[in-house]
Amino acid sequence: MKTRTFIADLLTHAGLILFMIFLVFPLVWMIATSFRPTAEIYSGTVALLPESPSLDHYRTIFLEQKIFTSMGNSFIVGICSTLIAVLIALPGAYALARYSTRWNNVVLGWILGSQIFPVILVMIPLYILLRSMALTDSLIGLTLVYVVWALPFVLWMLHGYVRTVPLDIEEAAAIDGASRSQIIFRIVAPLLLPAIGASVLFAFVSAWNEFFFALVLMKDPNLMTLQVELARFTGMEGQARTGPLAAASVLATVPSVVLFGFLQKWFSSGLIAGAVKN
Amino acid sequence: MKRFILVGAGVVVLGTIVFLLLPQGEQTDSSTTRLRFVSLAWQEQALATNRAIVAEWNAAHPELPVEYVQGTWNSVHDYLITGFETGDVPDVFHYESSVIVDFAMRGFLTDLAPMIEPEMRDDILDVAWASVRRPDGAICGIPFLMESFIGLYDVDALSAAGITPPTFERPWTWEEFRSVARRLTVDTTEDGTVDRWGAAIGLRNSANIVMNLSIGFGGSFFRKVDGQYVVRAGIEERELLSTIHTMLYADRSIAPSSVGQSGPAMIPGFFQRRYAMLIGIGAWGRQQLVENAPRDFRWGVIPPLKARTQDIGTSTQTLSIPKASKRTAEAMAFIRFMLSKENMARLALSDWMLPARASCLEQAEFNDPATGWDVTTASARFLKTGTWTGAPGYVEWKSRVANPVLQEFFSGRLSLDEATARIEEESNVVLSRYQEDGR
Amino acid sequence: MSDWGRTRTSTGQLKLLLPALIPVLLFSLIPLIRGIYLGFTDYRLGDPIQFNGLANYVRMLSDVFFWKSFQVGFVWTLVVTFAQVALGLGLALLLNRKVRFTSIYATLMLVPWAMPPIIRGIVWRQVYDPDAGILNGVLIQAGIIHQQINWLSSFEYVIPAVIVAGVWGEIPKAAVFVLAGLQSIPKDLYEAVRIDGAGRWKEFVHITLPMLTPVLAAVVSLSFMWNFNTFGIVWVLTQGGPGGLTRLPMLAAYEEAFRYGYVGYAAAIGNVMVLVISLVLFSYLRVQLREQKQ
Repeated sequence: MKTRTFIADLLTHAGLILFMIFLVFPLVWMIATSFRPTAEIYSGTVALLPESPSLDHYRTIFLEQKIFTSMGNSFIVGICSTLIAVLIALPGAYALARYSTRWNNVVLGWILGSQIFPVILVMIPLYILLRSMALTDSLIGLTLVYVVWALPFVLWMLHGYVRTVPLDIEEAAAIDGASRSQIIFRIVAPLLLPAIGASVLFAFVSAWNEFFFALVLMKDPNLMTLQVELARFTGMEGQARTGPLAAASVLATVPSVVLFGFLQKWFSSGLIAGAVKN
Repeated sequence: MKRFILVGAGVVVLGTIVFLLLPQGEQTDSSTTRLRFVSLAWQEQALATNRAIVAEWNAAHPELPVEYVQGTWNSVHDYLITGFETGDVPDVFHYESSVIVDFAMRGFLTDLAPMIEPEMRDDILDVAWASVRRPDGAICGIPFLMESFIGLYDVDALSAAGITPPTFERPWTWEEFRSVARRLTVDTTEDGTVDRWGAAIGLRNSANIVMNLSIGFGGSFFRKVDGQYVVRAGIEERELLSTIHTMLYADRSIAPSSVGQSGPAMIPGFFQRRYAMLIGIGAWGRQQLVENAPRDFRWGVIPPLKARTQDIGTSTQTLSIPKASKRTAEAMAFIRFMLSKENMARLALSDWMLPARASCLEQAEFNDPATGWDVTTASARFLKTGTWTGAPGYVEWKSRVANPVLQEFFSGRLSLDEATARIEEESNVVLSRYQEDGR
Repeated sequence: MSDWGRTRTSTGQLKLLLPALIPVLLFSLIPLIRGIYLGFTDYRLGDPIQFNGLANYVRMLSDVFFWKSFQVGFVWTLVVTFAQVALGLGLALLLNRKVRFTSIYATLMLVPWAMPPIIRGIVWRQVYDPDAGILNGVLIQAGIIHQQINWLSSFEYVIPAVIVAGVWGEIPKAAVFVLAGLQSIPKDLYEAVRIDGAGRWKEFVHITLPMLTPVLAAVVSLSFMWNFNTFGIVWVLTQGGPGGLTRLPMLAAYEEAFRYGYVGYAAAIGNVMVLVISLVLFSYLRVQLREQKQ
């Protein structure tokens, strides 16, 4: 019996490692490319580690592009939209979990429905609307768009989790004279930390990764987000560009991968609550 | 409950205030007082030249600073088209003649004709003006760089095979080119696979190459019938197509990797001597040769191949002013500076493309044999403007019909008859909607 | 205050929902309704907007480009959805065995998901690069191929190549959802069967799969929607080429609007996409629900 489990474990590891190779390898390859001098990239030899690693490509992108500015913009927009999304979603999620009126169906219907519609339908009207509010070419406008963009998922995840919080805790607090908002932010919110963590992660990463809205909404070069800045590189043909493109891509990937790593535990438990308790 | 709503509203307000206090505000302010100039330069030298000229302007005109905005060929279309819609536009932008005539047709651009000074009007070549002129005489952009296709050969490969390279005085015909390519295709290791192909031609998006080179065969594709454009692929249009196809599949003298690669992407293979000649490459491709070629690699420029004539179609890169720009006169002053005789020469040299001014072409730098400028410049006299210039829907036709069908044709999935039939048929689908519009 | 859990008026709830609903109304719902309306107009950028009824949809009937793009869209959506759910299920089952280092595996597997879609495209472009790509390098060195293959420009290989890249990016999402579902299956169910002496396979078929059905149905539905609406990764990889072979519906709509300026027609394509997705999901979920009841 013991050897059987051992073999089963071994096979499990083998399977997992195969999956990991497939899932992680392209990133590893890109990291390796980013440290290879151009001549080596095109030498046709297959080697994982660069023969003569160099930081040239990183130097190139820092000198040539407004990488820092755009990274800063992405951070500002990401953090602000995340904060706002989670703060306004908390009471909303609470309301969805603790009340059951016709609004539940409306909101949950919208959460699912919002996934069906292709962005193209929203894009031009949204652009014209924001323009009339003088919010194109503005980080505020982009933040608001990203708040709305992240809301369905955040609401869904948080409301699934609120349901797991026992009612009697709230009742006890209410008897002590706490108001509804105190209960939400002081009693319920701390119990929701894993779900809030997952929501923060999700909202930030989706803002950080978003490309289409930023491309269309932002015209001022000083307000570009990192993704749009990076897309410039792909438009430029020629072998001299492969290395810098890899370097820039590595830089753009690092923050989200690190965040995912940190919040991985919270994330999966948050999803369990969101996905299954419904 | 009320307190809660207050808190919620407070958070949103607070977030907004935090934003307004962030330093981005000042950048937005400054950009409204500057002229915004979107450049599509991307080769490193060209980038530097563009920036340098803008800096010189800013030093000389502190009252009218120009903000340099780096655009890309991939994204500039979305950028401009949403901008036109809402009036959020740059004051000057760099783009390409075949697209801006489309923009002009839809009323997005300022007619520059009344603002062009005689000096500039007379110096810029007629063929360049023809690429940006509307039927009513309006000029939708100032042309400054002319696209032209050149061919390249590996000097050592030709001399080893005992082949005399073509000269401007004694150019090759397509037939000669074909037989040379066959002779240069060799299996040096004798393992049954070709080690060096006679020729290569980047056919990834080949509509540009095919249409512009077909002019030498008398091909035009677009014809005006009863005031409306129709697309025909007759004998003249088919000649180049069948020549390339034959070389690819019957002679096997054009490298199969040509199908699906862009011209610049084939340059590394040219360096590695996998192809002895590279044709249909933009003149700017020479920049990569000068900068990246191995030290012992010697190359030369093939003058335009002779079909019926040596004519080649051209389009131009341009600077335009959107109608929505509020400072047309200032923008035009900047264009005049940017495209003065000296500056246009600098731009053309650094982008390795033909300048549109006749006076620039005469300068010594544009006649240097070491960089292939001599042959490239001399071939400027063969440049013509295709009949498709200004045809409504041409841009969509090229990317929807011509490029895809030609891709299928060159990859051997369509016969010549099928390909030309499909081009004519699908053209109707695309062009009809533009003619419905009456534009 | 003992009726705490029951003070549930709809106005009370609305007040709590309001901070979230206002931005949604403003920046999502209103533009969306406007967008749907544009699908019934002849709106071209720069021109006035005119209602033209069903003219866009009539045009679509004879538009070869539209039909081709929906065909590709279906192939792409079905294959990617199926493959990502199957592989995601496999990965989740392995992770659920909780061998050593599972948390490391679980973190690593999220890498593709964490990457911005633009970068996913860039990464795979570098893998498929005919000259510098690892794929050609390895295949040539192993002697499997002799000529470099230009994966993303070849009519034979481009669809599989793009699909592999697409599946790669979507596996983590599916795995995370399925894993969550697996972990919520009560352990005592398994113990009951184990006492009966059932094998692993029986356990999987009789307990795991049925218990997972709701989660799987949700994953399949969501993935179907997301995949049908894919844009970024394919745009970076092929821009819809070669020969329009990978022009997914979203790419087609994007080109209509932002290349050629036909916003009305683009919106009409968007409307048809919504209609198609809704129909497919509706029938799929109905079958699922019926099976579950039985």
